[in-house]
Amino acid sequence: MSKPAKAGDAAKGNVPFEEALKKLEGIVDAMEADDLPLETLLARYEEGARLVKICQEKLAEAEVKIQQLEKTAAGEIKLKPHALSEE
Amino acid sequence: MSKPVKSQWDFGELFSLAETRKVLSVWELASDIKRLLEKSVGSVWVSGEITNLRAQNSGHVYFTLKDAAAQLSCVLFSREKVARRELLADGQKVLLQGDVTVYEARGQYQLIVRAVELQGVGALQAQFEKLKQKLQAEGLFAAERKRALPKFPARIGLVTSPTGAAIRDVLHVVQRRNPALEVILAPARVQGDGAAREIAGAIRSLNEFNLSLATRYSPLDLILITRGGGSLEDLWAFNEEPVARAIFESKLPVVSAVGHEIDFTIADFVADVRAATPSAAAEIITEGVFASREFVSDALDLMRLRVHRCLTNAQQDFSSLAGRWSRRHPRRRLDESLQRLDDLQSGLLRGLKTAVRSRELALQNLAGRFLRAQPALTVKARRETLRQLEKRLHALGPQQVLARGYSITTDAASGMVVRNAALVKAGQKLKTQLAKGEIFSRSEP
Repeated sequence: MSKPAKAGDAAKGNVPFEEALKKLEGIVDAMEADDLPLETLLARYEEGARLVKICQEKLAEAEVKIQQLEKTAAGEIKLKPHALSEE
Repeated sequence: MSKPVKSQWDFGELFSLAETRKVLSVWELASDIKRLLEKSVGSVWVSGEITNLRAQNSGHVYFTLKDAAAQLSCVLFSREKVARRELLADGQKVLLQGDVTVYEARGQYQLIVRAVELQGVGALQAQFEKLKQKLQAEGLFAAERKRALPKFPARIGLVTSPTGAAIRDVLHVVQRRNPALEVILAPARVQGDGAAREIAGAIRSLNEFNLSLATRYSPLDLILITRGGGSLEDLWAFNEEPVARAIFESKLPVVSAVGHEIDFTIADFVADVRAATPSAAAEIITEGVFASREFVSDALDLMRLRVHRCLTNAQQDFSSLAGRWSRRHPRRRLDESLQRLDDLQSGLLRGLKTAVRSRELALQNLAGRFLRAQPALTVKARRETLRQLEKRLHALGPQQVLARGYSITTDAASGMVVRNAALVKAGQKLKTQLAKGEIFSRSEP
């Protein structure tokens, strides 16, 4: 990952989607391509299944998170929750 | 009509016609009108819409300026220094400055155009071209400075109106394709006075925000600036220089999606990626994750398949080994012999049955032939033949000769027939056979 470590993610034990996806792709590729012993294959499968779960949890988040940029009186930029105006 | 009645007071013409009428030539009248017009109207500003535009080879441009109620012939001579003369076109709204005059040859008044200002869409188009050329020359559109978008953006900045159609389109697509995407809205008016400044400001704020938070949160991956369709005037803010500059200076890659497919704005040219519509932009941004969604949902199946295949292969290997082993086992040989024996046995039985059957057939065949040969007739014929033969045999036998009185003498001891008396010795016992009975005798010495 080229991105800097994320404190919040680390606290939650959260793996970024991209990272999980790349690992998953690697595992599936390896399982497809190499002639692995059954034990290794099963270990990879378990790891892969765990990553699938992580990815699917990421994708299954129900609502798009929207926040709005706001400038405080002091000129500082902050985020505030944004409620979509549905007419 | 009744014939006009001449009044008694009609004294005819008092003065000659030549004295009462002032007759002008056409040219004189036209010249008078021309003078009058040029003096009282002269140089004017007039606005209207160009129609019936004809550019001649001479370089002069003829057209009619019209509004809802009237029309005015206009001519723009080639010698007039009018900027962007090529932008004049039918339907163009223009503000003209020129001199009203009369073209005597046609008896038509017209405006000799001295200056042209494009109005409405025309004016905007001209500004657009001017800014486009300027920024292009500065290298703001250069293909080599276009940045690729991150494949899996997790957090994007969105510059648009919080109440417009574009934000709804974008969020709808994002919701459907990558609901995990975080959207940071930097609200800006997207049309009207000051919109360009707000858009540029929003782009800068997002960049500033990104820098300030990069150490604490995931930084923004890109910025999307967008608005829905509208007239050229509605989209105008995106054609203004401050927006172009802000996009150019943005450290974050910028996607621009303004209006519909056919609308190209300066913002589109400067942005790293141009999308045809807000929805299309959202699709581009979410494409990586959306495509992986299918991969993720398929991944489990792929892996299961691989494990299953591995297990199947192992099972096949095992079966094949087990098979080879059992072929080597002595019991297998015994089984084979037993089977062979079975085969032979049943072969034998089959052979036996066949042999019996073939003999049965032969017998049936013979019986048939025998029956067809009518044995009763044959027996009768044979009996007849036998009787004939018996008769003939009887005729040839000695009995007939004996019956006529002959006799046969034989040596009693040897049974040899005596045909020569000289050979009979004295005292030899003889046997003479008659038709009935025999005589035994001894020869005299």
